[in-house]
Amino acid sequence: MNASDGLDYAATQLARASLDHCVKCTICETHCPVSAVTDKFTGPKYVGPQAERFRHGESVDHSLDYCSSCGACTLACPQGVKIAELNGQARAVMKSDHMPLRDQLISQTTLMGMAMTPVAPVANAALSIKPLRTVIEKVMGIHRDAPMPKANTQTLAGWLKKRPKPTAKATRGTLVFFHGCAGGYFEVETSKKSIEVLEHLGYEVLVPKQGCCGLAEQSNGLFDGATAKVLKLCDELRSAGRDLTIISSSGSCTGMLKHEAHLIMGVDDARLADVGTRIRDIMEFLLELYEAGELPTDFKPIELTAVYHAPCQLKSQGMGQPALEILKLIPGVQAVESEVACCGIAGTYGLKKEKYEIAQAVGKPLFDKVKRVNPEFAMCDTETCRWQIRKGSGAKVEHPVFLVHQAYGLS
Amino acid sequence: MTRVVVIGAGLAGLVASIRLADAGARVALLNKGTGGLQLGQGTVDVLGYAPERVQRPLDALAGFAQAHPGHPYGMLDAALVARSLEYLKELLGPGLLTGDPAVNLHLPTAVGSVRPTALVSPSMTAGSCVDGASFVIVGLRRIKDFYPELVAQNLNRTDLPGGGRLTARHVMIDIPARENEVDSSGLTYARALDDPGFRRRFAQGVAAVVGEGETVGLPAVLGLDDHGAWAEIAELIGAPVFEIPLPPPSVPGMRQNRALTARAKAAGVRVVPGSRVTGFRSSAGAVDSVQLATAGGDRDFKADAFLLATGGFESGALSADSYHNLHEAVFDLPLRRPEGHLVHGDYWGDPQPLFTAGVETDDTMLVRHPGGEPVYSNLYAAGGILAGATRWQEKSGEGIAVASAVRAADSILEAATTATTQGAAS
Ligand SMILES: Cc1cc2nc3c(=O)[nH]c(=O)nc-3n(C[C@H](O)[C@H](O)[C@H](O)COP(=O)(O)OP(=O)(O)OC[C@H]3O[C@@H](n4cnc5c(N)ncnc54)[C@H](O)[C@@H]3O)c2cc1C
Ligand code: SF4
Ligand code: SF4
Ligand code: SF4
Repeated sequence: MNASDGLDYAATQLARASLDHCVKCTICETHCPVSAVTDKFTGPKYVGPQAERFRHGESVDHSLDYCSSCGACTLACPQGVKIAELNGQARAVMKSDHMPLRDQLISQTTLMGMAMTPVAPVANAALSIKPLRTVIEKVMGIHRDAPMPKANTQTLAGWLKKRPKPTAKATRGTLVFFHGCAGGYFEVETSKKSIEVLEHLGYEVLVPKQGCCGLAEQSNGLFDGATAKVLKLCDELRSAGRDLTIISSSGSCTGMLKHEAHLIMGVDDARLADVGTRIRDIMEFLLELYEAGELPTDFKPIELTAVYHAPCQLKSQGMGQPALEILKLIPGVQAVESEVACCGIAGTYGLKKEKYEIAQAVGKPLFDKVKRVNPEFAMCDTETCRWQIRKGSGAKVEHPVFLVHQAYGLS
Repeated sequence: MTRVVVIGAGLAGLVASIRLADAGARVALLNKGTGGLQLGQGTVDVLGYAPERVQRPLDALAGFAQAHPGHPYGMLDAALVARSLEYLKELLGPGLLTGDPAVNLHLPTAVGSVRPTALVSPSMTAGSCVDGASFVIVGLRRIKDFYPELVAQNLNRTDLPGGGRLTARHVMIDIPARENEVDSSGLTYARALDDPGFRRRFAQGVAAVVGEGETVGLPAVLGLDDHGAWAEIAELIGAPVFEIPLPPPSVPGMRQNRALTARAKAAGVRVVPGSRVTGFRSSAGAVDSVQLATAGGDRDFKADAFLLATGGFESGALSADSYHNLHEAVFDLPLRRPEGHLVHGDYWGDPQPLFTAGVETDDTMLVRHPGGEPVYSNLYAAGGILAGATRWQEKSGEGIAVASAVRAADSILEAATTATTQGAAS
């Protein structure tokens, strides 16, 4: 399918078949974190299956733009209505002829990462200057207080090239690592630790040269670019070897490959299906090993009580919260489930000036819980969410793989 | 440690999961979506109509089961039902569930009819419809699902189940939960009433319309996470207060659903929402695993025992095609179907036979061929999937769900113990 077919698909076809399954039970309404905090958004049942009935091309309910695509509604719907996906499609159609430049730019995650890396200290300093952020808000519509990634001076590729080659022999076979843009440029530590944990377990880890999955463009309705990106990424990941399991520690990127590109943009391509069924979230992978009796649990105790927040886009993969199960295996660790649907950021949603306040209100119960449980440290599997929780709570927020790494004595 | 997979997170699946995990089993609770608890009223029906109105449900069970051969209450006797309801009361605590399952209360509905039920949220007990009661039914203008005039008028003209009449008048007031919103859901109010500041303003507004000696009936929106909100509101108003359940989203149902889900997680249950169980593998007469259709493809869940708690037609557990063939979605189980036509044309008439279709079990809740042998040695069923009841008409769904869940959990634990002792002996 070529890229602009994606918008066609969204305009006419959709996950639309699922709409007739709606029995109007309102269960989705009770799970939506956005309609809980604002009256600007009518909620999933109304903008989703209800407005969808009247949609011929553009949606009749423009409050749709306030849907953050967090997926909490789809996850809760007992009838299998793809509410969040319907919304994503309807929004892409609604904005197709007047897409704000801002939405186009913040979707270019790799570009931002590449541009910022060599000048990391400068970029970090610049992004912390208030007047500059005010100008960015005026010109670009990115809220002046929105969380911004800290650029790293070393990329993952740089680390991989410089580090001494692992000496231990791989006894368990070969895995492919998918780091996503954030894991390549901003949250490099998470990728390093993931690779080291997998190597410690006895795997050889291949990291092919790779681009971005296109999720940010997809969620901003830019289907052409997103489709091209995700298929290119599939080629890159497949180049490392057929039939190998692909591991990622970037919760939301994994979701893009597993289902979003197919469900929302209608990408129907054997390469995507292949990668999408071979990929595992790293915590999901460790839990599968554990269930099969193949995970060493010689974990050193860590005395730590901290909130764990599973990102909405991880939960929407319908596999529960594997990290919680893995963290239970480490003596001394008490992971307190956040019990909130979403941290508010939902990719790039919470960066936008008209949505910033809403995103902060969505995240507030989570920030409060972090402050209550352990104001120093919390855990979350996706980069943008970590930025949001760090900003909102003041705590250090890391991927749960940090604890696994430490408990195996690797740090 | 025995491993159990529970499919479905309605009342049946949640109760069974908690009981199993508390006893040391490793439990995975797989569910496509939120269960029916949230669509309920925050009450637990045991038996409401047989078909005449039931006053003492536990006493009525044996006779009812005799008159309805094949009904789940034929296997779940009154002692088990009583024990199971006590267990549920313990799980939810007195802040969320109270009452004596031996006696039905008769409570006003959102259309002003009087509904029999056994256990209730404590926020509802003051609404008991007894001779001489004096109610003021207070509506909130921005909640479109609650018409106080309709409720009061119907209550006034009802001969009460225990004899006599009550008096009810109605008032509509306007206290916005969100300033610019003309049409607010009950949930929006419930969230707002978790805030003590809004609670005070709200109580002042209500107090202004309450007369001497009146009991105040309000839509069931009095707090979501703060289970003491309704009591504080009553205290601030200075009169007894009761909640009347609304059509979904049901706030009292949500409170119970959240509490049981949190309790299950605290017990160590691995909860996996959002994916459907679509298939299974079996060998040597036992189920080995089920397949969960997650975003990235099917995932295999192995276990020693499996509990099917997927509900009925309403949750997609059962379906009927245009030839009236019936089908169970996960295991393609043999079903018990009623004699003759499944559906008759009289909408307001007798219960539709279709709804008594379902899975048959022995009295340990092991699924069996209708009238015959177990289908698998380790597959159990509980709740709405069981054949023989017209749950919402009889008002029996919740009692069946709780009792069959407790029975199934105990059977699974007993089987595990037997297996271990046998293993140790050999
Ligand atoms: C609108 C309505 C009104 C009712 N009114 C009354 C009443 O007044 N009185 C009364 O006593 N009873 C009433 N009932 C019935 C009562 O709610 C149920 O009988 C009772 O709650 C038992 O529910 P359960 O746990 O068996 O199933 P449910 O609550 O239906 O839960 C089923 C669960 O299974 C999941 N599921 C289904 N298929 C799959 C699958 N393939 N894979 C994974 N998960 C799956 C669903 O997502 C859900 O979580 C009513 C029911 C409805 C729907
Ligand atoms: S949860 Fe599903 S069936 Fe219920 S109202 Fe929402 S979309 Fe419709
Ligand atoms: S995707 Fe999230 S924000 Fe959008 S309607 Fe669903 S629950 Fe609400
Ligand atoms: S989800 Fe990951 S790979 Fe995809 S755009 Fe975001 S950072 Fe890049």
